Amino acid sequence: MSKDSKMRATINQKLTEMGERERLKELLRSKLTECGWRDQLKAHCKDVIKEKGLEHVTVEDLVVEITPKGRVLVPDSVKKELLQRIRAFLAQHAT
Amino acid sequence: MSPAGCAHVNAYKVDNWRQNLRVIYQCFVWSGSAETRRRKVLQNDVRWTALAKSCICHMCGAHLNRLHSCLSCVFFGCFTKKHIHEHAKNKRHNLAIDLLYGGIYCFVCQDYIYDKEMEQIAKEEQRKAWKLQGVGEKYSTWEPTKRELELLRHNPKRRKITTNCTIGLRGLINLGNTCFMNCIVQALTHTPLLRDFFLSDRHKCEMQSNSCLVCEMSQLFQEFYSGHRWPHIPFRLLHLVWTHARHLAGYEQQDAHEFLIAALDVLHRHCKGDTTRDDNGKKANNPNHCSCIIDQIFTGGLQSDVTCQVCHGVSTTIDPFWDISLDLPGSSTPFWPLSPGGDGSTVNGESHLSGATTLTDCLRRFTRPEHLGSSAKIKCGGCHSYQESTKQLTMKKLPIVACFHLKRFEHSAKLRRKITTYVSFPLELDMTPFIASSKESRMNGQYQQTVEVLNNDNKYSLFNSPRSLSVCCGGVGILCLTLHGLCLCVSCGGADIICLTVCVLWWSRYSLFNCLCVVVEQVFSV
Repeated sequence: MSKDSKMRATINQKLTEMGERERLKELLRSKLTECGWRDQLKAHCKDVIKEKGLEHVTVEDLVVEITPKGRVLVPDSVKKELLQRIRAFLAQHAT
Repeated sequence: MSPAGCAHVNAYKVDNWRQNLRVIYQCFVWSGSAETRRRKVLQNDVRWTALAKSCICHMCGAHLNRLHSCLSCVFFGCFTKKHIHEHAKNKRHNLAIDLLYGGIYCFVCQDYIYDKEMEQIAKEEQRKAWKLQGVGEKYSTWEPTKRELELLRHNPKRRKITTNCTIGLRGLINLGNTCFMNCIVQALTHTPLLRDFFLSDRHKCEMQSNSCLVCEMSQLFQEFYSGHRWPHIPFRLLHLVWTHARHLAGYEQQDAHEFLIAALDVLHRHCKGDTTRDDNGKKANNPNHCSCIIDQIFTGGLQSDVTCQVCHGVSTTIDPFWDISLDLPGSSTPFWPLSPGGDGSTVNGESHLSGATTLTDCLRRFTRPEHLGSSAKIKCGGCHSYQESTKQLTMKKLPIVACFHLKRFEHSAKLRRKITTYVSFPLELDMTPFIASSKESRMNGQYQQTVEVLNNDNKYSLFNSPRSLSVCCGGVGILCLTLHGLCLCVSCGGADIICLTVCVLWWSRYSLFNCLCVVVEQVFSV
């Protein structure tokens, strides 16, 4: 495992252990709902389903279609805020 | 994808599959922290402990990449990197579960499948986990029952709500100085929780006669959402109100606030059929814990603390309330002057433009400690004698919809005087400084900085949905303002709804459930 992914795994472990991961998830969830991201993607999902046909569409189709769009549509402010939270948490719990 | 699942699931459904599945949900999907996971694992099966120390892919060690767990053995693999697919092929284990969302994937069908029994287990485990985490019930989307599906099939006509449609808006004819009633009705019909309750047909009437106000309210909602554009004549509603609230009968112009309280009271009394039943099927008859929709939405708890000045003993009472009556400056009782910028007056982002009074000022005055004076001594339970005391009001329980009543009518010895002081109110109101626990922590010496409140529990938004803001103004020419879509609609307590365009009005589309209903009695100039 590269150094980068090792660090990722360590950070993730720390976040999970202290319950911070769940809190961040909740924060992210509410922020994304507030700014309309969720509804935008939901609408996009509906379009994809209409295109592919309800009987033939698979979850994989949706994942492939939605993931890139979803990543792009996250507002910068939300990214900043989450990053700040994680930084603050790590600073607080640095070993 | 049919809810009967795929054929391959049947091969899994042998032996103790239900329990095994529950363990997987409890330990790996809905468990939350690693600590609870460890605990759950130990609780359930020692075999899992060694292999399931942490949720990472057994092939590459990553925790991202849509980790899945094999249902037939203890194996975690990435979905994106196809590690779980390899495992499925090698071991012929056809089913895997997505650890993020709990979906079941079948490698033969190559898609997620929906098996009714498994879904049921998943839902139960999720609810249990939420309860453990202290989250309680979370919002889950509506799933129609068999009966509802039947009804939908038999009634194929659908009404689509576009952004510009006027469904939900309707004018009300003035039946002779009934503008006060029309305003309140407009405000109530634009309260989303109330609207949802009535439109989803939740009222089960237990009154024998036709005089149930809740039924009439239900009818009213049907009228409002019928799509008819001509004004509605609420004569039945008026008649019922007169029947049940005699003091409002007659053609005199009444107080909108009085009407609101009377209406809520009658609705609350007539909601008896909808109160929840306990496990024995008996109705909860406790008047202090009514669970009718009116109480659920509008009832808050006002805490009154009387502190004896001698022994400092505090006697506390909590009373339910539907509205908060606020004094205004300009009345004969002295108002507590507040200098702008002092002690966190930037709470709620209000600026004191030329000394204008804000709603927060009024609230601050309402919750200030009041010295009761030597002429109003209270018998202290600690000192066993009459002592001077201070009294303070705080919010113990915040209602979902908060109604503020600005006391514009001053009753002095001579006459009724109307106070015309302008009061500004914010788009978002944070009630945190006024709740009981805030006051307690202030008393304990913890000075609360205006910290950015991360949880929104005490915040109220004036916009309770993308389409409605309810402000009722009473007085000469009672107006009710509702924000519908992009238009500010003014209903002059009457038949016409005039639509003005609004350029700069921000609203929170996805705001919280809390909403603010302000009943002010001032002539609102638009």
